[in-house]
Amino acid sequence: MLLEATAVVMEFGSFRAVNGASLTVTEGDIVGLIGPNGAGKSTFFNCVAGDLTPTSGTIRFKGHDVTRATPEQHARLGMARSFQVPVTFEDMSVAENVMVGAFLRHGHRNAARRVADEILAFCGLDTLANARAGSLGTPGRKRLEIARALATEPQLLLLDEALAGLTPAEVRLAIDLVRKIQQRGITIVIVEHIMEVILSLTEHAVVFHQGKVIAEGPPRQVVDDPGVIAAYLGGSMKRVRTQIS
Amino acid sequence: MNINRIATIAGLLIIALWPLVVHDVFYQRVGALVLLAAISASAWNLIGGYGGQVSVGHVVYFGAGAYASLIVFTRWGWPPLAGAPIGVAVSLALAALVGTPTFRLRGHYFSMATIAAAELVRILASNWDVTGAAVGLMGPPVPRSVWDFSFTSPVPYHYLFLAVLLLLLWLTWLMQRSKMGFYLAAIRGGDRAARSLGVPVLRYKLYALLLSASFTSLAGTLYAVMVGFVDPESGLGILLSVKMVIIAALGGAGTLFGPLVGAVILVPLEEATNAMFGGGGTGITFIVYGAIILFVARFQPGGMAVIWRALTSRRKNRAA
Amino acid sequence: MILLQVVVSGLLMGAVYALFSSGLTLIWGMMNVVNFAHGDFVMLAMYAAFYAFTLWHLGPIFFVPGAAALLFVLGVVVYLGLVRHVARGPMLAQILGTFGLALVLRYSAFWAFSANFVSLPENLVGGTIDISGIRIEASKLLGGAVALVITLGMHLVLTRTMLGSRVLAVAEDRNAAMLMGIRPDRMQALAWGVGAATTGIAGALIALFFYISPTVGESLSLIAFVVVCLGGFGSVPGALVAGLAIGVIQALSAYLIGAVYQDVLVYSLFLAVLWVRPQGLLGKL
Ligand SMILES: Nc1ncnc2c1ncn2[C@@H]1O[C@H](COP(=O)(O)OP(=O)(O)OP(=O)(O)O)[C@@H](O)[C@H]1O
Ligand SMILES: [Mg+2]
Repeated sequence: MLLEATAVVMEFGSFRAVNGASLTVTEGDIVGLIGPNGAGKSTFFNCVAGDLTPTSGTIRFKGHDVTRATPEQHARLGMARSFQVPVTFEDMSVAENVMVGAFLRHGHRNAARRVADEILAFCGLDTLANARAGSLGTPGRKRLEIARALATEPQLLLLDEALAGLTPAEVRLAIDLVRKIQQRGITIVIVEHIMEVILSLTEHAVVFHQGKVIAEGPPRQVVDDPGVIAAYLGGSMKRVRTQIS
Repeated sequence: MNINRIATIAGLLIIALWPLVVHDVFYQRVGALVLLAAISASAWNLIGGYGGQVSVGHVVYFGAGAYASLIVFTRWGWPPLAGAPIGVAVSLALAALVGTPTFRLRGHYFSMATIAAAELVRILASNWDVTGAAVGLMGPPVPRSVWDFSFTSPVPYHYLFLAVLLLLLWLTWLMQRSKMGFYLAAIRGGDRAARSLGVPVLRYKLYALLLSASFTSLAGTLYAVMVGFVDPESGLGILLSVKMVIIAALGGAGTLFGPLVGAVILVPLEEATNAMFGGGGTGITFIVYGAIILFVARFQPGGMAVIWRALTSRRKNRAA
Repeated sequence: MILLQVVVSGLLMGAVYALFSSGLTLIWGMMNVVNFAHGDFVMLAMYAAFYAFTLWHLGPIFFVPGAAALLFVLGVVVYLGLVRHVARGPMLAQILGTFGLALVLRYSAFWAFSANFVSLPENLVGGTIDISGIRIEASKLLGGAVALVITLGMHLVLTRTMLGSRVLAVAEDRNAAMLMGIRPDRMQALAWGVGAATTGIAGALIALFFYISPTVGESLSLIAFVVVCLGGFGSVPGALVAGLAIGVIQALSAYLIGAVYQDVLVYSLFLAVLWVRPQGLLGKL
């Protein structure tokens, strides 16, 4: 078992954003995490990646208890992530952004640069290597975040809506990229709203609702689950209502 | 050869030859003061510019260096320069002690904490007899040997300062190209993303602060050696901290030569207004300082470095 | 008895601290921008009061609202001309922008009004009131009372009126407020104006019993930071409580261990709070 999150609870004040969610991920998998807006997916990711310390529950990665470990310890152990809202280092070039990741395992500038060049080519960013990160559009930034994460040479990659906001053509390219990443032997957990992505990429989907896992299994089976449908409808009804008020 | 390299070599040559070319002591002194200001602003730049942690309390380290050199003289009769390692040691201790908890604060909170800490030290030094309280301390009235490094001509100071500045710029250049330079840039870009890539944010901020504090302290010692006097205002006044920030920001915070460029612009300006308006000049100087920095912040936060880059790249485009 | 006297004068001073700090906390809570020139705003208001009296013999009834109006304009101008632009820039620009402003104001005052300390005549407002042995200067009582009323008033406006809720909506989420038809720039300009105006009132009131000098803003800025930090960033009632507390702490430490150390204690407290509870003592996370 690469990742084992058990009964994770995350409270903000009295509000439970994650309410006893569990997830296990086996080496080599691509796991899809879906659920309506506000279901707690990003918060759960933040707990797993060490950005937040869960109120209770445990998280084990490669057999180590990392519940209370810092994000940098997670990175060192081999867990990398992208953020829902991309945070690139705007003033640095695309290649330099990736080098920051590469420095984790390569102390010397030249070695880091070599790794970065390889990753940039792998992600199809090589032509943009010298562009300022701040000059990229959303698709470029999302790709850059993935490249930067890959440069830390992770075993597990957490992608939080890395494909949101892309055009259908860009989505297809991104799906290919995720597949290629898996073929490198990297395990992936991906949060995604676009069903097409989940259906075509993953063998295993987990549905979040109100901080809990309400269904899991093969994606086709999961989307037909009446509980899941109700959660999505309820969620979208609530969304509509909050927009009116 | 590219224009940046030509400008760098030309600039450094002018600075190196300055006291040999101009013979007026006033201008020679201004040259030495430019270098001294460049040292402390470049030292600030390590944490404030490269690390993006806007300290407005760096005068503590400057004061530690200045006071240390005059305390070793008044207490034990040592040459003031011998206070340098003590000043650095005290600064390192202060930086570690104050920096560690303060770095958890972000943005404005960090700046305010540094101001408060610096003011605290200033008040304490103004009331402690070891530091000469409000009166301050004097250096050797007449040089006892060459080790007192007390000269009437500014020229020896010019070359002493230049040596320290070049050492600092060389270290900065090495740092900028190494893992540490990349990590600091990442921290400036965003703590959270940096940590997710395995950057130990606190540790690298602390490294940058320790290096920064050592050289700021050295600048304080050099100041005390040259001027032979320090009191709470000239060694620990908040305006000194502000000057370091302004000089670095005007030239370009987080760039290698930015602080030097800022010093080359601002220090002569300050000396000119002081010379023109006499004692009342201090007021005018700070109006000018304030106005300049206000405009930099409003219109070009990147400072002269960005303007220079824009100018040179336009030339390149025209040539192409 | 003397101790009680000390506490009372501390409370009165504290009420004025609360008033000029609530201007800062309002701006801060609104847009997470610190005004390093805040104390210099107070200084300008003090000089406005001083010159209104010495040149035109205007009493507090005129110069307090006058200083408020003057500072309101200054606040709006500073917002529109400077803060609006630097707030979107890097941290260094935000800090330097208002720091530069502080230097310009402080040393322009130096140049225009000279470095000499001046003050208003001591008994401009009544003399000294004696309540069962505790002497209270009428000027401080007036200052403290007005400060209390205005601080509370500001809190009520913010929490109970349409305008207040619009201002708070912008503070909460600029974009969401925009969608509801609120113009964030206007609300923020207004917040700067009102924040500066209360600062103006505070300055004019302090001028009644405090020395006036071009550099007085330097230490007042720091006190305002301390009050805002202890009171929880952005909280007007917090600023009130913290202001009173700081006033008392200063008065007591000046009395018990010496005037020199009153600021040592206050700054140490400030650092300790920032280190232990960065969100402020009374603030919520
Ligand atoms: N730092 C926080 N403080 C308070 N509440 C928070 C915080 N972060 C998230 N929340 C709340 O927790 C809930 C879950 O948020 P989360 O971002 O995890 O949802 P999500 O499933 O990722 O949604 P989306 O699909 O919109 O990204 C939301 O109601 C959100 O408002
Ligand atoms: Mg999310």
